[in-house]
Parts: sequence; C-alpha cells; structure tokens
Amino acid sequence: MSGWGQIGAILRKDLIRELRTRDMLVSMALFALLAMVIFHWAFTVRGDTDLTYFTGGMLWVTFVFAMLLGLNRSFAQEKDEHCLDGLLLCPVDRVTIFLAKTVGNLVFLLIIQAVAVPVFVLFFVEGGFLEGLPAFLAVLLLADLGICALGTLLATISMNTRSRDLLLPILFLPLIVPLLVAATSATTLVLADGAGVREIGGRLLFMLGFDAVFLVVAWGTYDFAIGE
Amino acid sequence: MAAAHYRRDGATPLEIEIEVEGLRKTFGRREVLKGLTFSVPRGGFLSIFGPNGAGKTTTLRVLATLLTAREGSVKVAGHDVREDPMPVRRAVGFISHNAMLYPDLTAQENLRFYADMYGVADREARITELLERLELSARRHDAVRAYSKGMRQRLAIARAILHRPRVLLLDEPHSGLDPRAVDILDGLLTDIREEHTFVMVTHDIAKGLEWGSQLMIVEGGRIVYERAAGVDRDSFSAVYREHVRDGSVL
Amino acid sequence: MKKLVSAPALFLWAGAFLIVGLLLAFWWAPVDASAMGFSQKIFYYHAPIAETSLVGFGVAFAAAVMYLRTQDLKWDRLGYVSVRLGLLFAVLVMFTGMIWGKSSWGVWWAWEPRLTTFLLVCFLYAAYFVLRSVVEEEQRRATYAAVFAVIAFIDVPITWFATRLIPEGLHPVVFKAGDTGMEGSMFASFMISMIGMTLLLAALIRHGWQIELLKDRVTDLKSILGG
Repeated sequence: MSGWGQIGAILRKDLIRELRTRDMLVSMALFALLAMVIFHWAFTVRGDTDLTYFTGGMLWVTFVFAMLLGLNRSFAQEKDEHCLDGLLLCPVDRVTIFLAKTVGNLVFLLIIQAVAVPVFVLFFVEGGFLEGLPAFLAVLLLADLGICALGTLLATISMNTRSRDLLLPILFLPLIVPLLVAATSATTLVLADGAGVREIGGRLLFMLGFDAVFLVVAWGTYDFAIGE
Repeated sequence: MAAAHYRRDGATPLEIEIEVEGLRKTFGRREVLKGLTFSVPRGGFLSIFGPNGAGKTTTLRVLATLLTAREGSVKVAGHDVREDPMPVRRAVGFISHNAMLYPDLTAQENLRFYADMYGVADREARITELLERLELSARRHDAVRAYSKGMRQRLAIARAILHRPRVLLLDEPHSGLDPRAVDILDGLLTDIREEHTFVMVTHDIAKGLEWGSQLMIVEGGRIVYERAAGVDRDSFSAVYREHVRDGSVL
Repeated sequence: MKKLVSAPALFLWAGAFLIVGLLLAFWWAPVDASAMGFSQKIFYYHAPIAETSLVGFGVAFAAAVMYLRTQDLKWDRLGYVSVRLGLLFAVLVMFTGMIWGKSSWGVWWAWEPRLTTFLLVCFLYAAYFVLRSVVEEEQRRATYAAVFAVIAFIDVPITWFATRLIPEGLHPVVFKAGDTGMEGSMFASFMISMIGMTLLLAALIRHGWQIELLKDRVTDLKSILGG
C-alpha cells in the first residue's frame, strides 16, 4: 500500500472516531467561543474601547490554545489502548504517520475556525471584512499549517512522557511565538488597517518559511519522536 | 542455506524463518539483552520462558521492529530487522495481552483500518472470512468498547493475522483470559498452527510445553537453557528451578 | 575517560583574557560618544555573554545531532551540560541587558528585539529541563532532549527575526548599537572579552561534561558492586 493510501486510512480512522465521539471538537469549539467572550470583557476597559487593534491577538491566542486541547487528544487514544504499537507494527513510514496526524489536526482546526471566525467577525470586526478575505485566508492557512505541524511533532513527544498534557504547552508555546507574532500582526493589519495580500507579503513569506523549516525538521526527527 | 535445520528424521532440510545472532539491547546504560543467539525454522514454534524482566518481551519487540538493537543481527523472513524493516513488518503478526484496537470503532472499522495499513488486496472478503472464523460476525458493527475481554482478544487475533503474516509473535497471549477465552484461543492456534511460524513468550509452563516445538529459558538477558520439545512438565519445572534463581513463579 | 590535564589551563586562559578585556575596556577604550556614555562599558560583558550563550546552545545542537546518529549517551551528557550553561548565560544576558537598559534608557525592561529574543530563549531552554524531568527511561529522555535541542536551536534565529516583524511604533525604544560604529580600541577590548568569555564557556562545558561522565561511571560501578 502506498504512503498516500496509508495517510488516507489513518485520517479516515481519526475522523470516524472524532465524528462519533465529538469529544475533541465540542470542547475546542466551546473553548474558542468562550475565549472570545472573555476577551471582550477583559479588554473593554471603558465603554468606548476600540478592540479593532486587538483582533489579531485575540484570534490567534484563541486558536493556539484551542489547538492545544485538540493536540493533547490526538494521541491520547493511540496511547491509552496501546494502539500506537499496532500502528508502529504496520509497514508504514513514521513520517507518513506524522503527515496523517498533521492533516487530521489541520482538518479539526479548520472545522473549529469555520465556526469561530464568523462569530468573531460578528463580535469584533466593524465592516469591510470581505475585502480582506483573501489576505485573511492566506494568513489563516499558513499559520494553521505551522501550528499543526509543530504541534503534532511536540504532541508525539509529550504523550510519551510522564506528564503528557501538562508538558505540551510548555514545549509548544515558546516555539510557536514567532509564528504567532507574524500571524497576529498580519491579521491585525488586515482587519484593522485594511491591508491586502501585498502589504502583508513579508509576513506571509515568513510564515511560509516557518512552516517549511519545521516540516523539514519533523521529517528528520519524527522517527526519534515516535520511536522506541 | 548454511544454517539449515534438520528434522529429527534427518530427511527434509528446513528453511530458517527467524535467525538471531549475538543480539544485545541496552536501555540507556542498562543492558537488557546480553547476546542472544537462536533460530526458528519455518513452521516451528518457539516457547520462551523466564522470570519478569528477563528480556523476553524485549526480544519479541525487537523481532517485531518495535525496538531496534544496535548490536547483533536479527533476520525475520529473510530480512534484516534494522536495515530492511518494511518487509519484516509485512511478514510479522503480533498478539499481546493488549488488544491494540480502537474502542470507539466497530470491529469491522478496526479491521478495515489495519487492512488498509497493510495493503490487504481482498479486504472485504478477508475481513468477512476472519470474522466468521472467530465467531464475531454477529457483532461486527458494534463498537469494540462494548466487547468483553475474550471477544477483544479474538478480534486482536483477527487483526494480527489479517495480512497473512508468515511469523506470529505471541506476548503472554493467555494472560488475563477467562477459561472460555483460553479455549477459544487454543482452538484458534490449532487452526492456524500449520500456517505460521510462532514465537511465544509465556509464564504458563503448561501452555508453553503444549505448543512449543522448541523450548528456551531466558534469564538476565541470556539464554540459560534450550532444547527441543518432548519433555514432561515435572522435569521441565525442575530444570526451570535449577536455572532461574526465582523459580517460584511456576 | 579523558584526562583532566588541560582543563585548569583553559580556566586560566579564560580568566586572563577576561581580566585584560575588563582593564582595557575601562582604561583604554574611550567613553562612548553617544548618549549612553559610561554605561556603555557593560557592553564589553553583555555582548560576549550573549554570544557565549548562543555558542552553548550551538554546542548542544551539535551534541544532539551526534546523539541521534550514534545513540551514545556521552553526547546526551554534553548536550545537557551545554544547555545548562547556555541557559545560565542567557539569564545573565537578561540581567546585564536590564542594567544597561535602566542606565541608558531609564527603564528596566523594554521590548527590544534582542532582549525579547533572549527572554523567549530562556523559556525555550527552561522547557528542555522540564522535558528531561518527566521522562524516566534514560535512552528515551536523551532522544527527546536531543530532538528538542535541535528544534529549539533552529527556532532561535526565527524568533529573533520575528521580533522584527512587530510593526514600528508598537514598541517605543529602538536601540541600535552599531549606529556610532566602533573605534579600534573599543573593538580590540571587545574582542578580547569575547575570546575570554568563549574560553570560559569551553572550560565550563568541558568540566561539567567530565563530571557528568564520572557520575555515570559511579552509577555503573555501584550497580556492579550492588548486583
């Protein structure tokens, strides 16, 4: 069986599981919505506070933390029932497992965003969202890819340790800061200043580079991360 | 092949299916396997006995490519486990006391997943055949979460032999099973005995003697005793106590 | 086991360079012409410490690659010692940077790109120790620590670059050391301090590594005697 077929098999298995139990998606979505409401109260220090310049920050902090919830779950079942052994017994490249898990997490994050972004726009963005949509989507996809690739690699490591989900944020957050800085400032430029793809081109390029670097790093180290 | 085994009657040379030479495995600076050498001919059944922590399961996991040893050579089905793990993985089925099944998926979904991972060509026919054989057809659309321990173990066997492996590795397969499940497992082993080469790690001396064509005792990461089958339980127990410091587990 | 022969010599060289660098910085190099004035003297320590910290992480990166290739635990010990020293120096960078910031800009903390990068580096490598502490099995701990050391080191320049992406105006003070250019005497003093600090790191790493290897040896001997 080809690597693509195996990616499909792992992905299908994870999606069936998640759509049946929905424990991960429901928690992530509720968390994302709750975070926005809390941000609103936390930042509205006066009745007339303009939150437009906080939009990028609010959005990406929400998604990064929501994804942490999901990442912790994405390997929990493999570990709990010793399914990881079953997976590793299969004639499958370890990198294939990484790619399948990354794509799976990306799908879950996109589902959450499909719910959360419209609500976010409704709450915090005053008009003109549609013009910025291409630039916004470009930021979204590039940031999501980086979050999921790096997150999957680190979740693989943290699930094999004693403290599991306690460890992941500590490993993940300092590493993701560069991507967060780029995504946040790019999103704010789009939503608050009406910037287009051209104006945030440098940031998009930076995010693309970040994604590429960590995909390559994961490629090189995943055998060790998932191994023995 | 130079290292061919001969049957007792000396007539038919048997091909070597598993060949282990000078296998050493360290965890950190703790040496768990201290130079193991043994081989199993095709169709053979090796029973490995030994106390906890002797290195039995580690040996099995090296054969299954779940662990890599840096010293010694290990060949399964003609392929080196370190250099060429993919064909080894295709040739090996692994049954342990952990079922390795996804509890939220049904029996059929679990088997489909593993069939796709192994690239089983006649997926549906093979799954139907195995579920029939393991008497699980009626429950094939139930989530594994709802299965009893015995049923899970049967499904685990289906998972392990799904891709028609040449070699079956059994890690304490009888542990934690009720008597009924033990009967089913033994019936199954009888059915598939001719189709595979077996290595079984066990605490259960009766089962190990019943099935094994080769017997081996491992202690402290070394083979301390080995012989062909054909020994009664009492004399083997005596041998075991003689070689293993804490022989009381038997 | 390596002999300890030249380790003390390394410390002596480091000390000599550092003292000479310090003397030159105060007696030979002129007082900085810009607004920073005399407080700029801390630069002769601050910058070499920063460079040394990064060298420490670089050594850890190389050790991590070596460990992943060979699975030899001695490289894990080298990585561990290097990260420990790198982190120590990174914390010193923060402190000297804050002192400098207070005396030349009047604030203890400014979100200046380099200082911010080092703050994140501190978090990053603190996580390295958390990771080590939650993996019991030695080989696995070494493997994960190595993978993380590789990722972290690659993240450092990316972080530094990212701090430059924050739009101008969001952070009030922009500090550029290169503006005035360096005079020959300043540069020479700086280089001597830098060499001294790098030698100090080398001596400390070597010393720490040997201690770790000796600890391993003791553990081995204990288990032989006990077993």
